[in-house]
Amino acid sequence: MADYKLIGKNYVTPDLVAKVTGKARYAEDYRAEGMLFVKLLLSPRPHARVTRIDASAALSMPGVHAILTADDMPAPPPPPAPPPAPAPAAPRPQGEAGAPGAAAGAAAPAAAAAAAAPAAAQPPAPPRPRVPAEVALTKEPVYEGEPILAVAADSEDIAAAAIERIVVEYEPLPFVIDPLDSLRPGGPDGRLEGNVFVGANVETLKWTAADIARIEAGTFPADAAASETLVFGDVEKGFAEADLVIERDHYQQTTSHQPLESRTAMAYWQNGKCYLHGSTQSVARTVAAAAGWIGIKPEELVLISEYTGGGFGSKIPGAQSMAIPALLSRKLNGRPVMMRISREEETYIGRTRPGYQGWLKMGFKKDGRLTAIDMFIVEAAGPYRRQGDHATSANNTSLMYQVPNMRFRGVSVATNTPPGTSQRAPGGLQASVMVEPMVDEAARKLGLDRIAIRKINSPEGQAQFGLAPVNAPPGRPRNKVTSCFVKECLDKGAELFNWAERSKRSGQRRGNKVTGVAVATGSYTAGSIGVDGLSVLKPDGKLYIHQGIGNLGTHSVIDTARVIAEQVDMPWEKCVVVWGNTGNHVAWSSVQAGSQTTYAHSRANYAAGQALKRNLQELAALELGGAPDDYDVGGERVFRRGNPGRAIPFAKAAELAIKRGGKFDGHEVPKELNGMTKASAAALAGLGLMGVARDNLPRDGSTYSFQAAFIEVEVDVETGVYRIVDYLAVVDVGTVMHPNSLGGQIHGGGIQGFGHVRSQNLVYDRHYGAGLSNRMYNNKPPTLLDVPVEQPMRWAAVELPDPTNPIGAKGIGEPAIGAGGGALICALADAVGDGILRRTPVHPEQILMSLAAGKPAYETLTAFI
Amino acid sequence: MDFVTWALSPWGENILIRISWDLFWASLVGGILFLVAHGGYMLFSPHHKRESGEVDRMEKERAGLPARIERHSFMARVFHWVMAVAMLALVFTAFLPVVGVKFAWVYWHWMAGILLTGSIIFHVIHATFFMDFWSIWLGPRDIPEAKAEIMRDFGVEIGGPKPGKYPLGNRLYHFAVLVAGVGAIASGLLMMSRVRTPIFERNPYLMGDAAYGLTYVIHGLTGVGFVGLIIAHIYFALRPEKFWITKSMIFGTISKREYLEHHDPDRWVATK
Amino acid sequence: MPAAIRDVMPAFELFQPTSVADTLGLLERHGADAWVMGGGLDTFDWLKDRLRKPKVVVDLSAVAELRGIKDAGGGIEIGAMTTLTEVATNALVKERFGLLAEATGLVASPQIRNQGTMGGNVAQDARCWYYRAGWPCYRAGGNICYADTPTAVNREHAIFDADRCVAVNPSDTAPALIALDAQMVVRRGASELVVPAQDFFVGPGVDITRLTLLRPGDLLTAVRIPGTWAGKQFYFEKVRDRQVWDFALVNVASAINASGNAISEARLVVNGVSARPYRLEAVEAFVRGKARDEQTAEQAGALAVRGALPLRHNAYKVPLMKALVKRAIRGAGAWTS
Repeated sequence: MADYKLIGKNYVTPDLVAKVTGKARYAEDYRAEGMLFVKLLLSPRPHARVTRIDASAALSMPGVHAILTADDMPAPPPPPAPPPAPAPAAPRPQGEAGAPGAAAGAAAPAAAAAAAAPAAAQPPAPPRPRVPAEVALTKEPVYEGEPILAVAADSEDIAAAAIERIVVEYEPLPFVIDPLDSLRPGGPDGRLEGNVFVGANVETLKWTAADIARIEAGTFPADAAASETLVFGDVEKGFAEADLVIERDHYQQTTSHQPLESRTAMAYWQNGKCYLHGSTQSVARTVAAAAGWIGIKPEELVLISEYTGGGFGSKIPGAQSMAIPALLSRKLNGRPVMMRISREEETYIGRTRPGYQGWLKMGFKKDGRLTAIDMFIVEAAGPYRRQGDHATSANNTSLMYQVPNMRFRGVSVATNTPPGTSQRAPGGLQASVMVEPMVDEAARKLGLDRIAIRKINSPEGQAQFGLAPVNAPPGRPRNKVTSCFVKECLDKGAELFNWAERSKRSGQRRGNKVTGVAVATGSYTAGSIGVDGLSVLKPDGKLYIHQGIGNLGTHSVIDTARVIAEQVDMPWEKCVVVWGNTGNHVAWSSVQAGSQTTYAHSRANYAAGQALKRNLQELAALELGGAPDDYDVGGERVFRRGNPGRAIPFAKAAELAIKRGGKFDGHEVPKELNGMTKASAAALAGLGLMGVARDNLPRDGSTYSFQAAFIEVEVDVETGVYRIVDYLAVVDVGTVMHPNSLGGQIHGGGIQGFGHVRSQNLVYDRHYGAGLSNRMYNNKPPTLLDVPVEQPMRWAAVELPDPTNPIGAKGIGEPAIGAGGGALICALADAVGDGILRRTPVHPEQILMSLAAGKPAYETLTAFI
Repeated sequence: MDFVTWALSPWGENILIRISWDLFWASLVGGILFLVAHGGYMLFSPHHKRESGEVDRMEKERAGLPARIERHSFMARVFHWVMAVAMLALVFTAFLPVVGVKFAWVYWHWMAGILLTGSIIFHVIHATFFMDFWSIWLGPRDIPEAKAEIMRDFGVEIGGPKPGKYPLGNRLYHFAVLVAGVGAIASGLLMMSRVRTPIFERNPYLMGDAAYGLTYVIHGLTGVGFVGLIIAHIYFALRPEKFWITKSMIFGTISKREYLEHHDPDRWVATK
Repeated sequence: MPAAIRDVMPAFELFQPTSVADTLGLLERHGADAWVMGGGLDTFDWLKDRLRKPKVVVDLSAVAELRGIKDAGGGIEIGAMTTLTEVATNALVKERFGLLAEATGLVASPQIRNQGTMGGNVAQDARCWYYRAGWPCYRAGGNICYADTPTAVNREHAIFDADRCVAVNPSDTAPALIALDAQMVVRRGASELVVPAQDFFVGPGVDITRLTLLRPGDLLTAVRIPGTWAGKQFYFEKVRDRQVWDFALVNVASAINASGNAISEARLVVNGVSARPYRLEAVEAFVRGKARDEQTAEQAGALAVRGALPLRHNAYKVPLMKALVKRAIRGAGAWTS
């Protein structure tokens, strides 16, 4: 590994002190002269048509300034186009319908395109109704809590009182909470257009009475009709070859994202531009989306988002609701308007991870080798679009378990529950939680070690993966990864966790406590390509690194800036990272999703660093003679190799660059840069020596990171209560860029995985179609006190660089969650027995009742309870 | 004063919840005021009783009549008192908590309701097959009697129409109780779908919000109606000039003279 | 019909009296318009959701005489405004009534215990999510229990003594206080009521809109714990989904006076199973004089859950409560299968 001065070292990021001291300003912390406040009127019905709005009494109240309804909203932008080529590997970067195998990278565009339309290969059907795009305010609410209108007033108190005087009449429409209800013959449809999302369309799919009878008997009807099918190999043949076949029903809950900061936004207009203070994961990539929601051109929007209190995928390009204060402000001649989103509103409009009702069948040879996997998942997609978590679960499974035969069948059901979108490893977390316990069950039945059974099936090197539509033309290449060291993770973890000894504690009982020990793996996309890096070395001797990356809490906005500094050996104290305000001219970036930023921007900033260095070398050659390659940089100077005295200090180089102009000071930039980067470079041109570049580095394959997690739990079999005693995560993320932030991501992901398995839930009353768990105390995300106390959580990295990244780094945000969740549920099964825990979250009663009954003694498939 | 209580349903609709308890107080106060007014009037007014001469004459004419005449059979009296107990239990369990006497009343209330319903089913069968069914009902031929009663109450001396077995006031009261009772029982049975009892499968969503609202309001109205009716009933039962009826409801019979004084022997032919 | 909105606190007049006398004066002056606020954890939920709109809020945080823990002749007196953290960490409480210290230490989260008060924890309202959503249920003055319908989600609800409403009392300290024969000191106008903790709580049959006998204008000033149970054998356990910031699914508190291996006197109280903390008097009588062994524990558990009527999603509370009662008899530190 290269000997880096900055990369791989711990340091204090420039945003950290402000965050921990409360000085950091989030969207809600901004105040402006004459600022008004907005409150929203939310639909009390899960599905209805607004027939009348009478706001006259509200508008006549003193202190009420304006009302905004669906009629004031700009026409929704056309369905999201594929991201500019070469496409980042982000799964559903804007929350749009995801492709199965959503992680299909740019290297396999054909596969991605084919996978994006799984129904394309089916016989031609009459044109199907497309789903209307979601707009921030609506006349046809499709879930309880969907915003109908907004009121701007002098205070929130007045705005709320005004809303209590507005009369809205609704015509009720049928609604769906539990997806299986919608699949009944004659069951309700979640949308007027139908009940099942297929690609960008909506269709009607009903199961047979026989299928429903099986559901009522508590069994998932695995031969029911699916609206999408993907295959690899011959699953029938695979099962015929198997020595052991296991099949299980399965339920995973819908959870809401619940970032600590809600999607608050403040906006005002000045000199024809909209200034928007929002809460978003991405910055550069939020501009076009937000401008579209407001109905303006991207260049008319200035976005400020220096700090974001998390998003977990729910704010990839911000949120539609950010348009509300912007449009109200425009109505009020630019007067600043603040819309604070409460926790209850956040639970409604803040997005969800789709729940699963499904079935999984796996076939194994005696040595543990997988012969076939058959997976059927009904996903609760929410009301707006296909989510595709289910297909991504299949895709991920085909990577993590190199099975020769696999089939995926899925149905994406429209539910009148808060809209779904990517939530940290969408499909990836669910895949680990679903598949890992069955692998353990097979290991126990075959008498194999649980690490051994994983190693025999796990990917390595440039492993291939992916499924294809049933009638896809043959010969299409499968997707492959750029690097994979999950076996190394398992080995390293086994050693650090002392697996050989620890696993002997499996099932040991002391009084009423039983120990469970487990290992699980997880993976997710970890990098995209083709974005830009931008830096300016100014005459003050400082290097300004302009990042379009959002500061969503992962540190990637700062960590990747260090790659530029590293290229030109710039001391970190002399680097200024510019971020979080498009008015400060930032570079085009990837979305902060799909765990792609670290990989994408270490490449882009490597390119920018190289460009900066090249400019310094060329400048030195022009000033001091010789060829550019005769010069090197270091010690804040560009100097002649072999004659370090012949040098130009950086500050002086910046001045000289300005004098020379052209490519040196940013007046000429590479043509292939994104428009946003070009505009930023143009604004910064003439201020110093510029290093700007687009990532044109080669890549063959898709980039994935991997994790193995080791865990010990203690289950109280008298009460069903359990606690995690010890946890170790070992990751394959390539080169470690910043150990502290990596650890934060690994543990944060692990804890979120625990929360998914243990407590986090979204509960609905299906008679009224209304949410019951709208507060954090009853939707129960995990807390810092739900993790091991006596033995703090540990992590390690295998530190094997990815060959397609110049510094070897890969992403981590999402890969970290699946193994955590998978390990916990595996450990519980290890303690209480196989096949008992088929439903998450695993509440104490599931263990308590099922142990007494010797089988699952709870409603295995009912959704939203 | 509000007449009914409204609430916002989970879907944001205004739904009826129940009557306002102000109506209970209105009924209670109304009943007591009536009692005071009527009592005062009876004390000081010029209202007239029939002349005793007429009764003396009839007594001579109908010497064959037995000394005691059965007015209420044993079964009829059992029914009356069972019903009375149930009714008082219902009213007290319903309204004591409203006036601030807190106790677990719902169980006793629906149990009493079941008792009341059972006794009334018995009564309907008994009255239909074993009693003079029509004797309690009101009809056009009661108009002259009503006129005469009103005239007497205003002090006009008037002879003429007498009732059959049941005086007009009796029959009017029975009719009011019948209307209120049917309303209370029907609504009460529907309301039991929202309470856990061994009798029905609990299903609070048996009807829609509006239908339940109406049911609760009907139950409330009939309930507070009973408060007034019961006050009036007890008052009249204790009035000296009506006390012979009260006694007959206890012991079953009236004297020959009471029979001839208060009844038209042709409309109610004493059998013994 | 006008729209509803949540999560915006309406304006009110705030009073911050510094004495009990002033507080009572304010409560008398404002009658039903006044809302008494302790730590604010229950209060602010109601106010922010606009489901309670008092004209006046009387904040007790400045009433010094309501704070603190006093030695009271072998027992203790805890001011209603004493924070839960103070109760959980107080040396006297830990020494004499470890049961209360333990129960209090398991309330919610450290942050909430720092702000929440003794009085607030016992006087808090039900946490049924239908009721808290502002639905017009019995407890809110309506005519239906939304939590007891064929489609309701009611895993957190009652298995005992439900009367139309199936909400449960969410307090962790209440069962401990009842087990310790505590008394609640309530000021009602000029008079002072001293009520046994057990009678402080009311079920829905008696009053479906309140969990305690506190009426508007009443002020809970202190909790008195007599010396009777000081230093006896205690057991407290709370079962919840998360390890923190979670109400009990079921909790149990026991106080046992043992002579040798025999139980001479016991108190057993379970919460989270009915609208009143559920005191197991039949079990107390049953174990009196019995040996403190597995057989007694087993029988006590079985006796405890007699008569339970579970709902669709809370049948687990029956074996859970049985197990907890069993363990409460076994006592801390004892584990057997």
